[in-house]
Amino acid sequence: MSAQLVSILYGNNFVVSDRNGDIEESPTVPSGLFSFDTRFLSNWVLTVNGERLQALAVDDLQYYETRFFLVPAPVALYVRKTLSIIRHRWVGSSFEERLTIINHGSEEVDLRIRLDAGCDFADLFEVKNVQPKKGRRYTQVTSGSLVLGYERGAFRRRTVISTDEQAQVDAGGLTYSVHLTPHQHWDTDVVVHSRILGPTGDDVRKLIAGHDRPRHDVARDLDMWQEKAPSLDSDWDVLELTYQRSLADLAALRFAPITDPGQGLPAAGLPWFMSIFGRDSILTCLQSLAFYPELAATTLLLLASLQGTRLDDFREEEPGKILHEVRYGESAAFQEQPHTPYFGAADSTPLYVVLLDEYERWTGDADLVRRLEPQARAALGWIDEYGDLMRNGYVSYRRRNEQTGLENQCWKDSWNSISYRHGELPSPLRATCELQGYAYDAKVRGARLARQFWGDPGYAERLEREAADLKTRFDRDFWVQDGGYYALALDADGGQVDALASNMGHLLWSGIVQPHRARQVVEHLMGPRMFSGWGVRTLAVGEGRYNPVGYHVGTVWPFDNSFIAWGLRSYGFKDEAARIAQGMLEAAEFFQGRLPEAFAGYDRELTRYPVQYPTACSPQAWSTGAPLLLLRTMLGLEPLEDRLAADPALPPGVSWIGLLNVPGRWGRVDTFGRRSLNERG
Amino acid sequence: MRDPVIGLFDWLGRRGHEQLLDHVEGTVRFDLVDEADVDHWLVAICRGDLTVTREDRDADCVMRCSKAGFARVAAGEDNAIAMLLRAEIVVEGNARLLVMLERLMPGPPGASDPVSTARSLSTAHSRAAAR
Repeated sequence: MSAQLVSILYGNNFVVSDRNGDIEESPTVPSGLFSFDTRFLSNWVLTVNGERLQALAVDDLQYYETRFFLVPAPVALYVRKTLSIIRHRWVGSSFEERLTIINHGSEEVDLRIRLDAGCDFADLFEVKNVQPKKGRRYTQVTSGSLVLGYERGAFRRRTVISTDEQAQVDAGGLTYSVHLTPHQHWDTDVVVHSRILGPTGDDVRKLIAGHDRPRHDVARDLDMWQEKAPSLDSDWDVLELTYQRSLADLAALRFAPITDPGQGLPAAGLPWFMSIFGRDSILTCLQSLAFYPELAATTLLLLASLQGTRLDDFREEEPGKILHEVRYGESAAFQEQPHTPYFGAADSTPLYVVLLDEYERWTGDADLVRRLEPQARAALGWIDEYGDLMRNGYVSYRRRNEQTGLENQCWKDSWNSISYRHGELPSPLRATCELQGYAYDAKVRGARLARQFWGDPGYAERLEREAADLKTRFDRDFWVQDGGYYALALDADGGQVDALASNMGHLLWSGIVQPHRARQVVEHLMGPRMFSGWGVRTLAVGEGRYNPVGYHVGTVWPFDNSFIAWGLRSYGFKDEAARIAQGMLEAAEFFQGRLPEAFAGYDRELTRYPVQYPTACSPQAWSTGAPLLLLRTMLGLEPLEDRLAADPALPPGVSWIGLLNVPGRWGRVDTFGRRSLNERG
Repeated sequence: MRDPVIGLFDWLGRRGHEQLLDHVEGTVRFDLVDEADVDHWLVAICRGDLTVTREDRDADCVMRCSKAGFARVAAGEDNAIAMLLRAEIVVEGNARLLVMLERLMPGPPGASDPVSTARSLSTAHSRAAAR
């Protein structure tokens, strides 16, 4: 389904259409023009003489620009080839489309070009589950423009469609009567503005400093973005393809909040998640530190400015907590959804400290570490004060917002992701294992920051003591004796939720795994129940809830695998990490270098093709970041004081990988990985 | 009962220094309106030091809201960010300053303590499961 959709985006303005460029209301296909979580066009269909068109080709020029090459739809098998229609569209602060019609024939033609336009003003949360609107819709027709509007109290949204004056405008769209002589062409421009209106009738963004960026800036910005990335040189073609795709997609996914338009941090993914997510933004920044460390700085500052300060049951806010999700749509505005911001995540807070430390290790930006000391201390304080709900020394979660809060407040946030091995679900209070790993890592890293930058050795010692204690207790309480692996979670009674799941891989990354257990953990991760041939499954084959196409219960997630590979490297399992990198990148080849959010957990031997999980979310930030982190793990890049150490371990069949101009506290350095001839696989 | 708006600005003024705003500089003017007149409150932030006055002068960020609406925010009964999204609050200038001050507004009255809530709910759940 998603392969049939064409998306362009700029910040959180984006357009999703079918391959003809058309947008039609549909409960299953999320097409439309969206801005700040509201749909501003839900109907946008081009016809010529009443006929729908057919795409010959779609040219994805840039992430913000596409051209559709169309012809009148075929009648039976015959395509009338004497007419070409080109829709060239781009999105910036507005959505613009240039229509060009070319008459290739030797006869004159009279054409009725029609662009149907309509809007339901759905909140993004209503697109999949259409709700009757609580406000009033209206339409205004003027010469050369069509205005579609929606009002609910002071909440006012408006779509303004403008075109040249030869168009006949009616409440349902625009019509152009065109006469073309042989070989003549005609074109017109249509501009669509999405308006978020304040009481005076002005767009509220007009009043907020920094919202006005001309379109040519966008193109220049993308060029600069790609130029400053390290350059890649390798005999592995798919790596090069995937790398370039990742850089461009990461540029596209940069997002600025409505109240702070100058700042760009990674949004989570298109189309459902073009917003700020604590977890997704942090993990994507970790993946891309060797490439764009400035993304991490922006993310750390922005998340700090919205850190929790009070108790709020609806938003699940607590002092020191890092947010989960921000939204700007109608449901957030009227508090039907809690996203202003919503804090229902138990991992974003410890991960925040992890990112701050890792960022400093790469960049040497001690100023930021000092500046964010209060926020980092508050985050570390949250782990023990509000994260440890059962006062048993483990971070757990249990939602207080029973209506619209999340049941699972970890990255596997679907309702059935956390289960015992036979498939039963535990009671709602859960301490998943990776949360303990993140908490451990946050304490270890927090101790380094306290000692080196905050001048507080006493606090550093306390954090180290707590981390060591957590590591010991964790091994005692989470290790499943009869299985030889770490339990997925502890339940409210402290019992093991004993399914075998990929969360264990994150434990290797965090360093909480006792060294003598590592071999057994790795054997599970790389064994046939978990490793599909492409990557590690979220849940092992044979577990009660295993389903190769279940969202978090059997699919393979590229982002998950990239962190597992990092964990494998840090425990010395280089070849295993390279195997994951190889599987992921070979999978990427089937998606033209753009790894999807997830793909099915079928054995590679069975399907030979990575079957994409049926979701429309692509590109997704942490899938975009996965190849970047895998590059780091293949080259074994690690900041060591003021130099960048490399310890390459390339997959079989790959002779060399060079990554040049890697930015960091060392300035810029080149790194290489080579495989000698006698070890070529 | 004390006017919650006066209470909030008094409290902000008495706070003196706010660590979370250590790196923030700027002024935010609150224009609180009803049919009769406009009340002005000016909060100046200088590297975390907060000063509150009743001046009506230019500011880096100006927010406009009804007196009744802002009284709900000051009492923790409504959320300024949600009100911004539904245009009950309108911001001009550097909106980031208002977002940072919003972090200092009170939360909803009667919010539960997460730790005791989690523990009591879990006990209730275990009892129900045992039955």
